[in-house]
Amino acid sequence: MFQDILITGLVNGGVYALLAIGFSLIFGVARIVNIAHTAFYMLAAYLVYTFLNIAGLPLLLSVVLAVGLVTLLSMVCYKLVIEPVREYESAVLIATIALALIFQETLLLIFGGTFLSSPTLIPGARDIAGVRVSYQQLLTIGVVALVLLGTWYLLARTRLGLAIRATANDLEVANLMGMNVSRVAMYTVAISVALAAIAGVVVAPLFVVDPLMWLAPLVTILAIVVLGGLGSLKGSLIGAFIIAYVEAITVFTVPAGSFLKGAVALSIMIVVLLIRPEGLFGVAFEEER
Amino acid sequence: MINALTYPIRRAYTQLRTEVLSLPSRTIVLVFALALLLLPLYSTDPYLMRIVIMASIFAIYAASWDLLAGFTGQVNFGHALFFGLGAYGSSLLNHHFGLSPWITIPIGAVVATLGGVLVGIPCLRLRGSYLSLATLAFPLILTGILFAFPDFSGGELGISGLRRLFVKPVHNYYAAVILMLVLCFAMWKISTSNTGLIFHAIREDEVAARASGINTKRYKLLAFALSAFFAGIAGAFFAHFIRIAGPSTLEVALSFQAVIWGIFGGVATIYGPIVAVFILYPLTEAVAVFPELREFRLLILAVVVLLVLLFMPQGLTPWLRDKIESICQRCKNRNVFWRRECRICSTAMH
Amino acid sequence: MLRRMLAAFVAAVAGTALTVTAAQAADPIKIGVVGPMAFVQGENHWRGAELAADEINKAGGVKVGKEQRQIELVKVDTNEILNVPDAANAMERALTQDEVDFVIGGFRTEAVLAMQDVAMDYKKIFLGVGAAHDKLTQRVGEDYGRYKYFFHVAPTKASDLGRTLFAVLGQIAGQIRQDLGKAKPKVAIVAEKAAWVDGIVKAAQANLPKMQMEVVGLWQPSPTATDVTAELSAIRRAGADMIFTVISGPVGIVLGRQMGELQIPAIPFGINVEAQKEGFWQASGGKANYVATLDTYGAGDVHITDQTVDFVAKFKKRYGTIPAYTAATYDAVYLLKETVEKAGTLDADKLVPVLEKTDRVGTGGRLVFDKNHAPTFGPGYLTGLAVQWQDGEKVAFWPNNWNGVTYKGVKAFKIPPHMMAQKKK
Repeated sequence: MFQDILITGLVNGGVYALLAIGFSLIFGVARIVNIAHTAFYMLAAYLVYTFLNIAGLPLLLSVVLAVGLVTLLSMVCYKLVIEPVREYESAVLIATIALALIFQETLLLIFGGTFLSSPTLIPGARDIAGVRVSYQQLLTIGVVALVLLGTWYLLARTRLGLAIRATANDLEVANLMGMNVSRVAMYTVAISVALAAIAGVVVAPLFVVDPLMWLAPLVTILAIVVLGGLGSLKGSLIGAFIIAYVEAITVFTVPAGSFLKGAVALSIMIVVLLIRPEGLFGVAFEEER
Repeated sequence: MINALTYPIRRAYTQLRTEVLSLPSRTIVLVFALALLLLPLYSTDPYLMRIVIMASIFAIYAASWDLLAGFTGQVNFGHALFFGLGAYGSSLLNHHFGLSPWITIPIGAVVATLGGVLVGIPCLRLRGSYLSLATLAFPLILTGILFAFPDFSGGELGISGLRRLFVKPVHNYYAAVILMLVLCFAMWKISTSNTGLIFHAIREDEVAARASGINTKRYKLLAFALSAFFAGIAGAFFAHFIRIAGPSTLEVALSFQAVIWGIFGGVATIYGPIVAVFILYPLTEAVAVFPELREFRLLILAVVVLLVLLFMPQGLTPWLRDKIESICQRCKNRNVFWRRECRICSTAMH
Repeated sequence: MLRRMLAAFVAAVAGTALTVTAAQAADPIKIGVVGPMAFVQGENHWRGAELAADEINKAGGVKVGKEQRQIELVKVDTNEILNVPDAANAMERALTQDEVDFVIGGFRTEAVLAMQDVAMDYKKIFLGVGAAHDKLTQRVGEDYGRYKYFFHVAPTKASDLGRTLFAVLGQIAGQIRQDLGKAKPKVAIVAEKAAWVDGIVKAAQANLPKMQMEVVGLWQPSPTATDVTAELSAIRRAGADMIFTVISGPVGIVLGRQMGELQIPAIPFGINVEAQKEGFWQASGGKANYVATLDTYGAGDVHITDQTVDFVAKFKKRYGTIPAYTAATYDAVYLLKETVEKAGTLDADKLVPVLEKTDRVGTGGRLVFDKNHAPTFGPGYLTGLAVQWQDGEKVAFWPNNWNGVTYKGVKAFKIPPHMMAQKKK
């Protein structure tokens, strides 16, 4: 049982991390709570399905196209919908909810409520330490590692990364220093959504594709980022594994309570918040005025 | 003698003239309330009644969200918790003990209030987005608990076969509309009272409020309790109206619904969310009247919300109110936009 | 201003609705088809009813007393999967605005209960097609005066499903004993967390040991769980030979797909509503080979009644897909036609006694209502089918000589080859 928990937690933790980090990034930089984050993830899954199964394009091209298009769309959405209301935090929030609903309803109209599946990139499975793991799950872990490295490189070693970090640190001063904060925010949105799209392409084949698939992971990643500390990438990464392990332990120790794994994970989040209100790695809010 | 008799009437008339009819926004509220009360004279169509009843219930629910989120700035993402607590609290009593809805609805509200305090305590330590995202979790945790005890809670079926307050649609209509008018007026009164002012102060600057000797924790808890109480009544009434309390009363979508109504209508107003509900709820239903549009209704709703926000980022009612009323520079009282001088202090406007 | 506009608007809406109803004189018989129209269930509700109504209308309509009347269907989108209050609103709209004479359909039990209450308020006959929970017809027994207008037409009600399941499980266990030489096959129960499964799960835990099977555990994921790899790892470790599924939600697809992906050496059988749908093979990415479930119509090659093969063929010709179980609205429309013709009236109170005496062979079996207006189950009545996905084909394998019932067209059940390979060594 021990190795089961170990491996299952690792695999799911990687999946969660991929989604949570993007969400955290955009909050950290632009203070945007992007409810539509997982809706972009869903969109990418649908696009791959369309390109591959309906248009008959080759796998790699479909994947690249899906990620590219969703990222582009996110920039358009940012320009059209988010930027005009940036000053009003609540308006941004509801705008992202509305966006998510628009995506959901559009997909429902086009594809109906039927469950579809996006194709596995590498089929098959193998045993690791006596636990059966599919290649798709291994691929996910690999992609997560690569993406994390890439994100780290981008943030720590490039000029854009510097700008993003500066903006995250102090938006007003960054603005005063002559940075185009709005453009930095847009690039951050693009990066964040690209992460979601990659997740959609890589992770969705493990799950089922349907117009409501954005809700369940949304709640999980919200729990993760709050647990890890909003805006902290390290926190999101560690939070993702905590939640994944909590879920795995629930399933393996109380089999008849598998359905509770979500509730247990959320309760853990509440407990952590009670002890550390700013999350594990969040910057303690000074009494903001 | 005659004077003593007519005095209250004259006083009420003066009040009406100076406090209500002098301001277009208040006049609209009056007309709206009268229109709702007189609607059955025009038509007692059960479907029309049902839509207004549902809108009334959700108006209470949305306004109660505003009382908490708009005024104290504790933006609750899990408001459905209180709605669901009211619904389940009331229907469990009705179902297991056969109590009349007249008793169970208030008890449901009390259950919700207790839930509000219980949730409010951990939330005292949280602020901003943390609070929002953490509150999202509470209804989901409760759903998990309800599913764990299906014999008690009915699992995914919920509690069904509840009794309605009245049998005839018109009676239920008046119950809902009067309840809505009374509770929303009460919430508006709270929001403009001293307590409301303190709520507002907490949102604007909690440290300053505390520095002024206000026990901000107590007031934040009070906001949770009050808001939960009103949402609980809405939930309990809802359960007895559609005669089932199920897990759908705790869904994320319902929590988001409150946020959408609140922000669309304009936060920290109380009347904003009510206006939003009375526009958006009948709108989605009206769309459903036309068969070819039925499948588009949620899409249309989302697009409308988005467009309105782009043009009125502070919400619908503040934007409208600024169009039809202007604030006196000197005494901060509101006036009709065409007045040249303030109705209170006679200062020249503009 | 705004509120005045709103009031005017509400009035306009009511006005439109009134003119619509006034314009259509009450000549045709109006049947409301209620269901989640954006989803497969609702789509099938509509298609089944449409097929029946068109056939009846082409043949001259329904004979009420002396006049021939056409059937007019009203599509009632309940949106019930997403929103329960919407469903109750839609029902009220259908009954008061569209003024339907009968309603058929319904899917999500929580919503059907709410809609049932609305329909009973108006004393309209509501033929339930889609929701299986016993609660729906228990209400008829508990408060006959109020709920007598509700009849459960299809599918088999939840408590009867259990009996079928054990019969099929027995057959599969026999095959495992034979092919793998295991005297006591191990069964893992995977039931979604929902009230309708509880009775079946308890019965399974009590009955399976008596049937020489060992229950190795019970896993209860949420009906909408998107990942069951953890559960599957645990099940594999427990050495299960069979996975007894009691699932109506999309987790059924996830289970099938991930079982195939991970090559879990066990046979999944039980109720898996998603696996009944034609889209299941695609939805599982072609991975859910050998998943088995109870079903209503199969793939159209099984002769349940004289009508089944013909109905499935007609349905497939017109819509390009095999009917799902909610397409039993086809039977419901015919049932209404025959009942109305027998009674010679549309008066619900006069129709109820006639409906109660129903004995008709439909597309899925012979329909006889019990005293609670639920369909009678058993050999000679409704039995259902058991099907298995074999390389993209939904193949029926049961009933095969069960209490003397064998449907023409059933084929052999297959144990997954990868399971044979893993378990034999």
